[in-house]
Amino acid sequence: MQQYIVRRILLNIFVLFLVATMVFGALRIDSDHVVNTKAAGCFQPGADIEQCKAVARADLGLDSSIPKQYWNYMTDLVQLDLGKTFSDKKPVLDEIVSRASPSIELGLLQIVVALVVALPVGIISAVRQDQWIDYILRFFTIFFLGIPVFVVAVFVILITSRWFEGTLIADWLGPHGLGWVQIWENPIDNLQRVSGAALVGGMATGAIVMRFLRSQMLEVMRQDYVRTAWAKGLRERVVIIRHALKNALIPVLTVIGLLLGTVISGNVILETIYSIDGVGFYVTSAALQFDYPVMQGIVLVVALLLVFINLLVDIAYGWLDPRIRYN
Amino acid sequence: MAQEQAVPSLVTPAAEYSLRKRASVWENVLKFIRRKPLGAVGFLLIFILFAMTLGTPKLQFGVPELPHSPLGFELGKPLLAPYDEETNFKNAAGRLNTHAEPSAKHWLGTDGSGRDNWARIIWGARRSLFIGIWALALATAVGTSIGVVSGYFRGWFDTGIQRFMDALQSFPPLLTLILILTIRPFTTEPSLVVAAFALGFVGIPSVQRIVRGVVLSTREQQYVEAARVIGATDARTMAYYILPNIMASIIVVFSTGLGVVILAEAALAFLVPQAVPPEGASWGLMLDQAENDGLATHPWPGIASAMAIALAVLGFNLAGDALRDVLDPRLRLG
Repeated sequence: MQQYIVRRILLNIFVLFLVATMVFGALRIDSDHVVNTKAAGCFQPGADIEQCKAVARADLGLDSSIPKQYWNYMTDLVQLDLGKTFSDKKPVLDEIVSRASPSIELGLLQIVVALVVALPVGIISAVRQDQWIDYILRFFTIFFLGIPVFVVAVFVILITSRWFEGTLIADWLGPHGLGWVQIWENPIDNLQRVSGAALVGGMATGAIVMRFLRSQMLEVMRQDYVRTAWAKGLRERVVIIRHALKNALIPVLTVIGLLLGTVISGNVILETIYSIDGVGFYVTSAALQFDYPVMQGIVLVVALLLVFINLLVDIAYGWLDPRIRYN
Repeated sequence: MAQEQAVPSLVTPAAEYSLRKRASVWENVLKFIRRKPLGAVGFLLIFILFAMTLGTPKLQFGVPELPHSPLGFELGKPLLAPYDEETNFKNAAGRLNTHAEPSAKHWLGTDGSGRDNWARIIWGARRSLFIGIWALALATAVGTSIGVVSGYFRGWFDTGIQRFMDALQSFPPLLTLILILTIRPFTTEPSLVVAAFALGFVGIPSVQRIVRGVVLSTREQQYVEAARVIGATDARTMAYYILPNIMASIIVVFSTGLGVVILAEAALAFLVPQAVPPEGASWGLMLDQAENDGLATHPWPGIASAMAIALAVLGFNLAGDALRDVLDPRLRLG
């Protein structure tokens, strides 16, 4: 097991190295664009545009040769220095950290909503398979699986702004504009800023979890040990929760872990629609302004989160299900 | 008695069997509808989507940039008569017919520039399917090749490729899309082909992962072993023994992937309108425009485009689910 973890960590470091190299390479394919944009700012009639470009290039650190730039980038990276933003020369790491809390809060709330919805719905739908309640619940699942998050979000905003303007519903489900209040400063305002997005995103995530949980429950309910539990005369609640659910949850946990990774690493769509100034929102605007250090930084941070959440999920899987052995 | 039966028993049962047991296409379709009603709804939605696209130029659904009547022709006039722009472009007061509510002339109303929403939805379907099919063609072609080779050879080669794919997949997809659509050497300005390429490129890692998983179990089958025993080369084994047997999975990946790509294109157009080509009418761009114009006051362009996106994605999801159950249960979730 320890050997397995060490090998996985080494592989992860290799993956992160690949990610860093790839994002660096992808951004150096076309560095003229950002230089031209920057040079256009200093250009005056009669001045030499090439001179402006040279100044801009030096300013952005793009004047040295590509291998030199790559070496500097990598040595900085090893020292946890992600560079400074092109736009206002602030340290990238600080910028990302300051935007991390909205993203993490939104992601976690989303998972909470998903679980609150998916657990009971998945269990009921499996236990009452092919009865009317199963059909109704499955219809809603397919609805949330099939209809894109941003379409649902746009409709929620449309309905709240058209008919519930100024009411409590609009406060909790509608967008609040940019700006962020920490949860310890003003909990209600803080929660209102993310609640709408978390609810919409959580329903979509919950639909995935619920569908997976249902199929797992159906499989477990047919196992011999569940039949034994019934035969012993245990109550329905005990059989379902203690014998069936516990075993059905193990594979579901991996799905939740993977969703956690994607959800925390910046929910671009929801953050943009609800104007939440998180990592996802930041990376999109950085990409449109060709802010290389920001893009490089966010890609790396997200990749770091993803590979290590994947590792944790795999370890948890082996821990919860002793039948699984890693060699 | 025994002799009489001996001869026909050798010939006829086989012939009868093939005559009797082979269900007609319609019987199969009916059976599918009965067993997978939701899947049938999905296929119906996809059929409507394709019918809309194929009918567009023939029925003259107008031009997406111009105002026009719902069907492109007025009832009682010849089908392909030149379209009378004037009457539809202006309303009774002689102004641009902007933000019209749904009526007999404009089934889904008009947008802020007086363009007919229904016609734009139909042209948008063309664009979505064009991008979707080309993106999926790229993603499945490249993804399948990588997946088959990687899963077949395993070992260090496989590990290397898989880690490379892990790295590729940890890029936020939206960022990759924006980068490909704005990098100069590829394009001076965004075009539909580049958009299709970008979306296909982003899809490669997940396609190859699914294909590799299926190949890993297929390569252990006895017929693959038999092929190797009779001396088939690696290339021949992959092309003639493994590939035909994973075709069902590839079809499922293709059909579910189409929904994902159409959704991704719409989401990209909605979130970053400046990065996508404006050709034709895009559902995502329509939704973005509708949001800018104020959904609360003029909801119709938003409702129209959102419904189009939702129904198309829903259709591909439902159909893909049913196909998966029928063709390849191995692919079910994870």
